[in-house]
Amino acid sequence: MEDGAERGGKPRGVGRLLWSRIIWRHWRREPRLTVLLVGILALGVAVFLAVRLANKAAVSGFGMFTESIAGESDFILRPRAGMLEADVLRELRERAGATPVGIFPVLEVSAAISESPETGLLKLVGADLVALQNAGTYTNGSTSVSGDSATGDDSILGLPDRGFVGTSFAKRFGVGKGGPLRLVVNDKVVDFVIAGVVPEDPNRPAVPENLILMDLPGLQTMAGLEGSLTRVEFRIAPGVEAAANRRKIGASMWDLATERGWILETPEDRKSSVTQMSAAFRLNLTILSGLALLVGIYLIMQAMEAAVVKRRAEIAVLRSLGVTPAQIRAAWLWEGLILGVVGAVAGILLGRLMAVGLVVAISRTVNTLYYETTTSAVTLETGEIVFSLFFGIVASLTAALIPAREASLTPPAQSMRQGGQGGGLALLRNWPLGLVLLVAGIGCAFLPPRLLASGTIVPLGGYLAAVILVLSASLLIGLLFRPIGGLLGRGKGDAMRRYAASQLRRPEGRHRLTAAGLAVAIGMSAAMAILVASFESTLTGWIQQLLKADIYVAAAGSNSVTNENTLSAFTWKELETMEGVAGMDKLRRYKVSIGENDFFLGGADYNDDPERFLQLMWLDPPAIQGPNSLEVRETGPYPGWISESLARRFSLQVGSTIPLPTPSGEKPVEVTGIFAEYGNETGTLVIARQFTEEWFGDDRVSNLAVYADPGVDLEGLLGQIREAFPGVVARSNENLKSESIRIFHQTFAVTYALEAIAVIIAVAGLGLALAGLLMERRTELTTLKSLGATRREIARAAMWEGVGLAAAGLIGGYLLSFFLGWILIFVINPQSFGWTLSYRVPWMSFLWLALITLTTAAIVAWAVGSRNANLPGEREE
Amino acid sequence: MKALQVSNVTKSYDKDPVLRGVSFSLETGERAALMGPSGSGKSTLLNCIGGIDRPDEGEIVIQGQSLKGLDETELCHMRRVMVSTVFQFFHLLPTLSAAENIEFPLQLSGMSDSDRRSLLPELIKEVGLSHRSHAMPHELSGGEMQRVAIARALAIRPKLILADEPTGNLDSTTGEVILDLLEAVSERHGIAMLVVTHSPGVTRICSRTLEMRDGVLVEQSELAV
Repeated sequence: MEDGAERGGKPRGVGRLLWSRIIWRHWRREPRLTVLLVGILALGVAVFLAVRLANKAAVSGFGMFTESIAGESDFILRPRAGMLEADVLRELRERAGATPVGIFPVLEVSAAISESPETGLLKLVGADLVALQNAGTYTNGSTSVSGDSATGDDSILGLPDRGFVGTSFAKRFGVGKGGPLRLVVNDKVVDFVIAGVVPEDPNRPAVPENLILMDLPGLQTMAGLEGSLTRVEFRIAPGVEAAANRRKIGASMWDLATERGWILETPEDRKSSVTQMSAAFRLNLTILSGLALLVGIYLIMQAMEAAVVKRRAEIAVLRSLGVTPAQIRAAWLWEGLILGVVGAVAGILLGRLMAVGLVVAISRTVNTLYYETTTSAVTLETGEIVFSLFFGIVASLTAALIPAREASLTPPAQSMRQGGQGGGLALLRNWPLGLVLLVAGIGCAFLPPRLLASGTIVPLGGYLAAVILVLSASLLIGLLFRPIGGLLGRGKGDAMRRYAASQLRRPEGRHRLTAAGLAVAIGMSAAMAILVASFESTLTGWIQQLLKADIYVAAAGSNSVTNENTLSAFTWKELETMEGVAGMDKLRRYKVSIGENDFFLGGADYNDDPERFLQLMWLDPPAIQGPNSLEVRETGPYPGWISESLARRFSLQVGSTIPLPTPSGEKPVEVTGIFAEYGNETGTLVIARQFTEEWFGDDRVSNLAVYADPGVDLEGLLGQIREAFPGVVARSNENLKSESIRIFHQTFAVTYALEAIAVIIAVAGLGLALAGLLMERRTELTTLKSLGATRREIARAAMWEGVGLAAAGLIGGYLLSFFLGWILIFVINPQSFGWTLSYRVPWMSFLWLALITLTTAAIVAWAVGSRNANLPGEREE
Repeated sequence: MKALQVSNVTKSYDKDPVLRGVSFSLETGERAALMGPSGSGKSTLLNCIGGIDRPDEGEIVIQGQSLKGLDETELCHMRRVMVSTVFQFFHLLPTLSAAENIEFPLQLSGMSDSDRRSLLPELIKEVGLSHRSHAMPHELSGGEMQRVAIARALAIRPKLILADEPTGNLDSTTGEVILDLLEAVSERHGIAMLVVTHSPGVTRICSRTLEMRDGVLVEQSELAV
């Protein structure tokens, strides 16, 4: 704090005095306000931190267990498409020679619980348990599941229906050792037995709640994948030559991988390339979480300004006693700092708690849209604590700057009796600057995106445009007061309404600041609502166009893009010949990689009836459409259709050629059409299934669209399918559509909660601002009372003023949201996700938000007015 | 009927007596100056008469209506129709124009639009502000602000005007003009007036003075007007 050097006083003496007499005493006198301020700051910090922690936990859940099957693997070898053959192990061992390295084959298969497929996908991991048992040589005993615990007394070697689960799995499904479990693997129902529950060990990562560990041959048999591997892990034995051995094995395996078209990577490479997929989604969440804190800054600013007004006489006396403006300013900044520290610490604790709930929601979304992840425990690291503390303190100090300046400008003694300056930032009156910013913001939206070294495309221009537009709205909001005041003051009768209107027609800085805070909260929330509505409208249109079949059949657990369960040729052939079935579309989906990037390959086999031909939503339609059009190929590359996301990720267009990796070698595919797809942002390439069947040696399919004969009882047909094939999930057209919309809403559940918090904070700010305004108008209140105004009438005037303020915030916020929505839909969304959306404004939601905001504002303002009507008037004597 | 009857009024703040058995009365149209040093209880007495504050004991009767037992709403109603206050610092509502300030108590009392429209120019004219009716308070001089305050006080045609140092914030020439105006409106409309003042000059428009000291009315003297 500033000292009193210029007055010759003892350094720190004045600071201590100001602290004890001004700040501390005020807090003690107004404990509720102090708690409210700390609470608001804590909420802002908590939301921000919770989203960060939950994002981190959701992503770190990816493959955390599997990548450490062999402890911390040094390398992972996997194919670009399809599976590795088990024979490769011999070749790998030969290549490794005498180098001490553990080689661990792994097979991963997805499954579902038969009775309750809605509980989500399970992951069956098959590992060579014998190798794991001997893994101590390579891992210092740090494998995820020790050989002892996995084989122990109940050996499960080679058994296709035995496996181990972790304690969280046992708890979640209520099963223990020896417990039965009915699983659906592909389209087969398997009666499974839990061979043991792996106890938790603080030295090892916990076994996720969706994982079953099996012996590799057992899983291969169970899944019908004899001789197949998903990947091979390498672990270099520890020791003085470990680094040299790592280099040697790395070089040797790299050569082999390059030769065979495989991928050799470290677990970290794998994790970062996969989590990269959801980077844009998580970035959007983080930005949204910053909104709560941004609105919180406005609120703290208002509250501290109100405190300046309340203590103006006190400050004036201090000034008349010789306390310098710098000392006064420093006292207020100290107040901001202390509030920031206390608020941030409380926010960190609250955020840690909130993250536990949030991580489930985020993981669910990541699971549905991006990749397999599990909810790992939320951990609060020192870095996060320091960052949150810093963030909270900076926010609080930023909020304290203007009130501190205002307090320091308070003139000595009682010269402020009539007409205070009303606080607020002088800058907020500068509407011409607001117009300049509006134009600049729109201009920024046209800047090209930036490609970061990590491969993430960041729509910097879009984000910059959004920030500038938010600032612009804060400056332009003042222009709304005169027309709103004019409208409110119109008509006959109610003197208090007209009095309130007169306040709005001549707004003070605090009016502008409050409306700006509200406009930012409403604007950003409404912009997200526009994005969600546009997304929903586009998605609904897409689903309507895409889902034309009567019944959809898939293996259990089909909601997630990570589902690898498939239907056997026997099943789909049986279904095809079932009575009542007129035809079907078949799709086989694979995950393939080009470079570091994964995407989906779809092998499609559409039914032959031109009447029922699947109409994709084309962005760039192929020259030849209709059944079998993908199969038409004489020479040259194979025809293929790609989704918009894939076109964006690989910069492809019609006519581009894709070197498609397959187990039968690289195949050239020419892009002949680009379609819209909103199921994933990874991207999809669709080619004829006859080619995938040939290249992958696989006649299974991932899902079927079944067309029924005219007049067939669909419910009856559904029942027949379910009865005949208990391992499949069959849904009616309507059911699948509604399920898709449900998943969509679930995806956006987090954003709804964050928006609600921002609006609540903004409305609380309105109450605080009005309290400050009324405090400043004590003389006016005395006059009103002397003119015969009752407490209720004064409260009513405050209510109208609050409604007027809220209306300004709403109108400004909605206007801002139209611009922000445009940026989100036409700039940020295509650049981040590669999805073309149609612009749709959710008018009904806007109406509800307006009604709720106005009603809440009216109630809060009325309460503030009623309370302040009883303030003692300033004494003239 | 007396315009104001104050009987044995006492008032304490935190056991500190401010008014100690004050009694006096004003006839209809009578003007009295209430004088005394700072802290003698003048403003407290004015607040009690205006119904802003309540006496601990005693009774205040305005135009036959006792304030005793009236609830907040009834006191507000009383202020709307019977008593007006003119302040030293004018206390105009800063966001309302001169005309709107004058019109405000009429709106509060529920007067119809047409009645207000016909009465307003008359009030503005009466205080000589026809040319400044649309000016905002911050655009007015001190004298003009006090004229607006007087017109506002007159608007409801009160039985009693309480004037708290009405010239205390004005230069002497303007102060004289304002006193003349107060005297004129009191005479014209038969309004009783209690003027709190430190200035002996103010007494020229009053028929008597009331001297307060330490919460007690120590002297009442008739003046030759």
